[in-house]
Amino acid sequence: MRSWLPVLRDRRRYIAFELEAEGRVSRGELVGEIRAAQSSLFGDLGAAKNRFRMISFDGRFGLIRCSHKRTEECRALLATVGSVAGTRAAIRVRGISGSIKAATEKYIPQSTLQPDENKRRVDLGPVSGSVARVIGREIDLCPDDRKMTEGSGTRYVGLTSFDLCGEDIDADGTSDGL
Amino acid sequence: MNFYECNLHALPDGSDSASRLALAAKRLGYSGIIITNHSTTGRPFGFEAARRVEGIEVVIGSEIVAKNPRTLHAKAASLREGSDFLAVHGGDEKINRAACEDPNVDLLAHPHDGRSGIGVAAAKAARDNQVAICLDLGPMIRLRGAARVRWMEAVRRDLDLIGKFDLNLMISTGARSHLDLRSPRDLVALAELLGLERRRAVEALALPKSILDLNRRSWASVGVELV
Repeated sequence: MRSWLPVLRDRRRYIAFELEAEGRVSRGELVGEIRAAQSSLFGDLGAAKNRFRMISFDGRFGLIRCSHKRTEECRALLATVGSVAGTRAAIRVRGISGSIKAATEKYIPQSTLQPDENKRRVDLGPVSGSVARVIGREIDLCPDDRKMTEGSGTRYVGLTSFDLCGEDIDADGTSDGL
Repeated sequence: MNFYECNLHALPDGSDSASRLALAAKRLGYSGIIITNHSTTGRPFGFEAARRVEGIEVVIGSEIVAKNPRTLHAKAASLREGSDFLAVHGGDEKINRAACEDPNVDLLAHPHDGRSGIGVAAAKAARDNQVAICLDLGPMIRLRGAARVRWMEAVRRDLDLIGKFDLNLMISTGARSHLDLRSPRDLVALAELLGLERRRAVEALALPKSILDLNRRSWASVGVELV
């Protein structure tokens, strides 16, 4: 990073958002759409004050950087996006934070699978969650309790079909050939 | 605060069922929605299912579509009984004025669609008859360029009028699908850009609840309540 006088360093806010869209949207398309909305709403002068940058976007959740004084303007800006590259979409702001780390940890779910999503459930006393995927006898489980994978840096809890012995993973009739 | 989205259109006006709108609004932080389908298209699809959605109140209102003031007054009088919330499909200058002059009406929806806005006479009438004016932010999301500039000019003028006469104000997106919905905080941020005070915007989002509570009490006649 370029060195800068600490007192003049620009302060930033990070907006964590979720994109709700009818189809797939790429990062480039989304950035283009937000930039177009920005210059339409604020003009070049106001757009420069926002200091808008797309930090990350994974197809659903994303992170935007903006100036700390312009968070409300950026919230309004994201609200004016109604479609991206011809696909109807809406941007839902999940939260605003002062650092990438805090914004990611607080507002962006670390697992791509939500516990409440209607997947097959596993309940084994201390371990409970939804099945993310099944490869042969190996099972990746998205735990209800996020703390379960803390320290290992993984999203999922690794199980095997032997762990589920007696408990029927396919009790709902959806067998995966386990 | 109890935020309500006061001017939604479900199937067949919009493209979502009432319950889908309810779920989306609940996730965005609303405590209730009012579905006001046009009086010409009938009841929204699946309104019984929407009542089963927990954690959000779903109110079925109505939005009167009328070609001239006379039919507007007739429809308002006949729909008032048995409906908790009555809106008027605004946009036309004469209809805007007539809606403001009708005490049966709760809300004048999207008065700025036809660039006309409300004007002084209608604003005075709205104050006397306690008709709320809806700031419909849908065009701000949908439109770009010159069309949005014209819309913003009309809105700015009317916001001054609303402040001057201290009219009741509601904020909505006039959503026809869950993708049109915006969270209360987004709407406040958008309204602030248009020059509305933050405090007024928050009040405007909470106003539908108090209007609904008033309408649900049983009034024998004007100012006389059955206890």
